[in-house]
Amino acid sequence: MSALQAKQISRSYGGTRALSEVSIELLPGSIHALCGENGAGKSTLIKILSGVETPDSGEVTLNGQPIPLGRVHAVEQIGIVAVHQEPVVFPHLNTVDNLFVGREQSKVGGLWLNKKGMREQACQIMHSLGEAFSLDIPVGQLSLAQRQMVSMGRALLHECRILILDEPTASLSARESRSLFATMDRLQQQGVGILYVSHRLEEVFQLAQQVTILRDGQCAGTQPTSSLSRSELIRMMVGRPVDNPSRQQKKTKSKSDKPILKIRGMRRDPVFQDIHLEVYAGEILGLSGLVGAGRSEIARAIFGLDPVDEGEIWFEGRCLPEGFTIQDTMAMGMAMVPEDRQREGLVLPASVEDNLTLPSLIELSGWMGMHRKPRHEASRSLIEQMGIKTASRASSAQSLSGGNQQKIVLGKWVYRQPRLFILDEPTRGVDVGAKEEVHRMIEQLAAGGSAILLISSDMPEILRLSDRILTLCQGRIKGEIASHEATQEILLQWALPEERDALS
Amino acid sequence: MKTKWFSWLSHPESLLSCLTLVMLGWICNVDPTFLQWEVQKELSTHIWETALMALPMTLIILTGGIDLSIGSTMSLCAITAGMLHQHGVPLPMGCLAAALVGLAGGWFNGWFITRLKVHPLIITLATMAAFRGIAEGVSQARPLSGFPKSFTWLGQASWLGIPLAGWLFLGCLALCAWIMHGHRLGRYIHAIGYNEVATRYSGIRVNRILLGLYCLSGLSASIAAILFMARRNTAKADIGVGVELGVITAVVMGGVSIFGGRGSLFGVCLGLVLIHETREFVSWHWSRDELNLLALGSLLILSVVFQQLLGHKRSS
Repeated sequence: MSALQAKQISRSYGGTRALSEVSIELLPGSIHALCGENGAGKSTLIKILSGVETPDSGEVTLNGQPIPLGRVHAVEQIGIVAVHQEPVVFPHLNTVDNLFVGREQSKVGGLWLNKKGMREQACQIMHSLGEAFSLDIPVGQLSLAQRQMVSMGRALLHECRILILDEPTASLSARESRSLFATMDRLQQQGVGILYVSHRLEEVFQLAQQVTILRDGQCAGTQPTSSLSRSELIRMMVGRPVDNPSRQQKKTKSKSDKPILKIRGMRRDPVFQDIHLEVYAGEILGLSGLVGAGRSEIARAIFGLDPVDEGEIWFEGRCLPEGFTIQDTMAMGMAMVPEDRQREGLVLPASVEDNLTLPSLIELSGWMGMHRKPRHEASRSLIEQMGIKTASRASSAQSLSGGNQQKIVLGKWVYRQPRLFILDEPTRGVDVGAKEEVHRMIEQLAAGGSAILLISSDMPEILRLSDRILTLCQGRIKGEIASHEATQEILLQWALPEERDALS
Repeated sequence: MKTKWFSWLSHPESLLSCLTLVMLGWICNVDPTFLQWEVQKELSTHIWETALMALPMTLIILTGGIDLSIGSTMSLCAITAGMLHQHGVPLPMGCLAAALVGLAGGWFNGWFITRLKVHPLIITLATMAAFRGIAEGVSQARPLSGFPKSFTWLGQASWLGIPLAGWLFLGCLALCAWIMHGHRLGRYIHAIGYNEVATRYSGIRVNRILLGLYCLSGLSASIAAILFMARRNTAKADIGVGVELGVITAVVMGGVSIFGGRGSLFGVCLGLVLIHETREFVSWHWSRDELNLLALGSLLILSVVFQQLLGHKRSS
């Protein structure tokens, strides 16, 4: 018998139909994946199942009992818990307090908080999630992945019968993903039904028994994963065939080429030490490693956003001066797509045009002020070139989907035609279709002679795009490999710190 | 059609225009003499200093900052010019010194904000008290006067019915409007207000822009101080008390978001007109100055409530 059953769920926002007559059935003790492109209605369905929103029609039952729709707290009480994509935490409180917010345990008849008891319970839960960080530091100082684990822990505090995970691995490194999967496995054996939303199809095939595919708010089918192939699944998601990511022939660089970027002995305590690397024209150099291995910090240091303690950085044969700034590196021809699109990459309320031209306004203006026409022209051609789907160039950036926002962040640098692109997680939280487009653009940029330093936690992505891959571990380069020789296992082996290897 | 009307109305500027018109209509009913040209011309002399300081304040609030110290900077500048004049320094030199003091005050604020990352509210609150303290200490709270005729003439001269201070304001307004709409600096200022980190990551020298804006604010306070001295023929440590209240009220009422990013100079001009007419009418009609602050506060609350209501309608 089924644990959670949703029948004929429909929901509209204004004039647009987010979901129409979607049904889904979740068995106890199974993992059920939910796939679909961004905007297919996954989040709406999750919101309805977890009681955040009420459907226009349809019903949801748990073991035959209708669930109190639209009441989060009541839904949690009966054992349906959701962990959302962006970890919802209170940054100034520590882990214990975060776990128990709104559910504090007390003693002496409610007069006193049972701090010790809560702490023990918190310890137990975080330990079972395989996390060993201190429970006393404010959650805001933890990494994104650790914060994600805290919100997972919060979900596990409930007696949960149904667990809904919305892209839990989007910000996790491979190791953290593994401990998450182990936890899911354990819960599954305890009879918990898990609804798992992910863009990473490898995980879907690895974990789930069943998969339901949503497309444009409709159910495109529910199938056992064993009977599906990867390309069939993608086809069901996008409704059109997608060219299989076959690895194309990479040209090998002759060592006589001059590198665009050469780094010798770069150090910044305590995040990274002893960094040596070269990136050649037309080459994509992958930088892999766990979250917190120092990859983003290296990117920021090269781009002049963070200071460097020691080391030489050569760009096109010129050594960068001491204490160089982002203005120097930009003028020489570097560009960086930062990790956090919404916080570092975009001015969300500003228009698409303003965002696209922000780094190039000096070039687009003279002593009389900005040149209006060339600016419009620049943004128009960038929108076309990058394939940004927007109503107009005056629409605000926040009205666009994640994939299109990411294209803006890339496009605003493309206009300057830099010689080196530093791309930090360029496809994080982007749907399958847009991901393909971004990949194609990166390949085009490299083919056009730019050097690319690619940072990604998405292993298939880094394997597919890179020519060479460097793996970082705890701020040091652990190994280098040509991508046609690399496998996920090798990269992971290098990425894991040695002490941990000894432990496991 | 209906939605178009509504979206027009939900702009703070159009709301403010309506509010101004309604108020002027009401005044016309109650006391038509107030709206005569001669009266208005006479009363307009009071607004120019506030208006001048509202321009840099608009830019600063657009970046998400604030400058509470302008009133105290005004008094410090006035005292500088006045003291130097008393000690026999020619007044133009004194005015130059006042301008430098204003710039230095603004730079001091800006330095703390950009280098030490002190919140603008805190550091300008501190300098608001400190600058006033220096001014009072130096001048011993004595009024300084006896400026030459040629100087006080500056406060009375007018051209085409608008006093010199008014022309100065209009010139600066034109300059600011060009910066905000024609120059890239305007885009940068909006971008900083919306998302300072992303602006920094786009290679814009955010600190330099902020430092410049606070210097500009200090400079505008010193010019306001000189205009005040020319108009009143006196310099005293207690000039400009509470002037920041009027300036910030005008800017916020003009629809500039206190969190930065959103707002326009046109709205601020409307805000200035509205608070000026309200203040003057209250003192003119009831001749009671204490009602002034009450009227100002109520007006601010009223306009903010309207904007909130319409803003919520717009976002949902």
